[in-house]
Amino acid sequence: MDQPFNDVWSECEDLFTQARATLGTLKTPQPAHVVQASVNALFRTTHTLKGMAGMLGFHSFSRAAHRMEDIFDLMRQGRLRSTDSLTDVLEAGILALESGMEGLRRGRPEPDDYLLPLRRQLGELEALARPTEGGSRDLTTMLDLPPETLKALSDYERTRVTSLLLDSTPIHGLTVCLDYATFDERLRTLSEAVAMHGELISTLPADPPEDREGLCFLLLVASAHPAFEELPALEGEVLGMALVADPARVPDSLRAKADPEPAPRLEPEPQPPPQHYPEMEILRIPAQQVEVLEARLMDVGQLRDAASRWMRRTPGNLHDEPVGLLGGMQDGLLEVQKTLLQMRMVKVESLFSRIEPMVKNLSRELGKPVKLTFQGGELELERSLLGRLGEPFLHLVRNAMDHGLEPPSERVAQGKSETGALRISASQRGRNLRFDIRDDGRGFDLARMEARGIGLGLIKEGQHYTPERIHRLALEPGFSTQDQANQISGRGVGMDVVRAEVEGLGGEIHLSSEAKRGSLVRLAIPLSRAVLSCLRVRCDRQVFGIPLGNVHRVQAGREILRGGDQLEVLGKSLPLESLQACLGLPEPEAQRAFVVLTQQGGSAESVEVAIGVDEVLGRGEVLLRSLPELARIPGIMGGSPQEEGILWVLDPEAILGLAMDSLMRRVARV
Amino acid sequence: MAAGRHLLLATQDLREVVAASPITPLPGPSKGIQGVVLHQGEFLPVLAWGDLPGCAGPLAPHPVLAVLRPRLAVPVERMLGLVDTLPEGWVEPENETHAWASAEGALDDLRAALLDPERLVNLLRRFRLEA
Repeated sequence: MDQPFNDVWSECEDLFTQARATLGTLKTPQPAHVVQASVNALFRTTHTLKGMAGMLGFHSFSRAAHRMEDIFDLMRQGRLRSTDSLTDVLEAGILALESGMEGLRRGRPEPDDYLLPLRRQLGELEALARPTEGGSRDLTTMLDLPPETLKALSDYERTRVTSLLLDSTPIHGLTVCLDYATFDERLRTLSEAVAMHGELISTLPADPPEDREGLCFLLLVASAHPAFEELPALEGEVLGMALVADPARVPDSLRAKADPEPAPRLEPEPQPPPQHYPEMEILRIPAQQVEVLEARLMDVGQLRDAASRWMRRTPGNLHDEPVGLLGGMQDGLLEVQKTLLQMRMVKVESLFSRIEPMVKNLSRELGKPVKLTFQGGELELERSLLGRLGEPFLHLVRNAMDHGLEPPSERVAQGKSETGALRISASQRGRNLRFDIRDDGRGFDLARMEARGIGLGLIKEGQHYTPERIHRLALEPGFSTQDQANQISGRGVGMDVVRAEVEGLGGEIHLSSEAKRGSLVRLAIPLSRAVLSCLRVRCDRQVFGIPLGNVHRVQAGREILRGGDQLEVLGKSLPLESLQACLGLPEPEAQRAFVVLTQQGGSAESVEVAIGVDEVLGRGEVLLRSLPELARIPGIMGGSPQEEGILWVLDPEAILGLAMDSLMRRVARV
Repeated sequence: MAAGRHLLLATQDLREVVAASPITPLPGPSKGIQGVVLHQGEFLPVLAWGDLPGCAGPLAPHPVLAVLRPRLAVPVERMLGLVDTLPEGWVEPENETHAWASAEGALDDLRAALLDPERLVNLLRRFRLEA
């Protein structure tokens, strides 16, 4: 796909991320100005999506985005109030657009209606927001402004004026004349400052007074507690302020008709100081440019290392100051590299945030109450992976909800809780990011799957297959045990798509289940780079890093240790194996230090092995780079260039396995 | 010139040619790969000619690395020049060279082979599976 298209997809991805975050804000009670700002942002987002889709020729998508834009517009106009159920529908709508966009990105044809599953809810919302008979109220005539100025107000601004006056908020007019050369910058600054004191309804052109030159504006601001004297006026600028509409003058009859069930005031009295959210400037940089920069920094790092080595080798050069300067450069380079890496990373929770609304909707549609929990949202993955994992995750969650979890009556009959459980967790395992999707439903029907596999010619009748092999049948193209496709899943597409996508990322997928207890889908996705806190150890002349999350204990300087020894550590008897033996390197005569490795998130049943090393050097952060396929070594997660050469970072889970294998071989040799 | 023989590399298989930098050996057995170099911020595996069938024997120093498209660096002793087309009379190798070359023949009266990156990578993958 060419660069302009990639830019568009990437921009759409950002827009959806922002939209999800904004919708998240609306889920909790917020002051009115935050709700207003959020709805405005969502309106703008859907408007932009509509335009981009139209530009690319995706007219059906453009229509769907337009419909969502209309809903946000109704909210902006105060015709729809932000409630939990409304937010749910909006989330589902945004999600439907996002999935649709992902489909387009993969070259799929456009559906007629992206919002088809939501047609009932959207129709209800649109009906609810229709103006009442006799037309809508308009209190803009209460504004003490010239008629020609009033004519300039848009429908939205009129609705806001009416709504704010009914809500007893005074409206002020702020006039200012600005210099021609700097008016745009000044107007922006003033608008931002005004927004800190209330809601900026409109910025209108105004006639300059006779004694002044420049461009004049009237800023219409709603605020219960204005403090405009604090606004930052420059020398020569005169700010004029006046109350242009007093809510006390709104007739009681109109106020009573305004809303039979008035919404509770969102702004408590006294009004807290409004929070200022400065607008961030977003730069869009092609990922390739960041890669080039990363590579260049790596080169600079190598030059620094070479300079440091030269300093240390040259007699008389080992002065504190240059050594300190080089150390400072090292720290600075690592910081910049980490920042660049962070630019490419996103938190796993942004993947989770796509799943939550979908599960809610499916739960409602299928009549299956479910308790959804997430774990590991704070971990990070590369942004490029996020885009590719979205759809596989949606398939997996749909399957779990549709096929895995039983209906409430069936669950109760089995002695289970009426509410199903769906748990999605992320954890870092070696060089992989591991995702587990667990449900406590009925599990895979292995007998049915085997029969179906035989029917499709995927396996042979009369042969014994392991449960793992039977489970993997679900990943074959066209494999489905559902007799009829439904709207949720069961079309036989999905799991093979998941497999193709995961394997395309160099990852793996494993399925397992237990009848009536539940299913587990495990995805292991390799990370190409990461920042890791490591324990640095030395074996012979090579330095290794061990991720601290797997280090249970470190001990050094005691008795001589040899592979195959048994050690007493904290009352536990542990086997010891040398790191060299684990990696297939020549074994040392003896070692004097060891590191107890344990499985991540180690429990009482976790495997623990003492790994012998020559020396423990300390701890530090390293920037890990994975090894290409042809250079992968069992037990090694990747490497990190350091002054003394490449520091190899161990994959602790793999090392535990290699240590156990090596110990078994020792036993077999005896 | 590589591994003591004349070698042809198709230009479409070649990503670039760079001066060799010190190779860091891998911390474990890795038949076919002598180590890695840092190239454009990534680790690049470097072929171990001595492990390939038909290439045993002492190898001359290699001041140049030919970086193939599948991201594999091939140590090269000397770059000799360009040929437009495969010389006449070149045939599919019948000996062990077949594992990494797709044609063999005479070039300037010397035996030479056309390196096939796909065969070479498959061979290296086989080494890994056998290990």
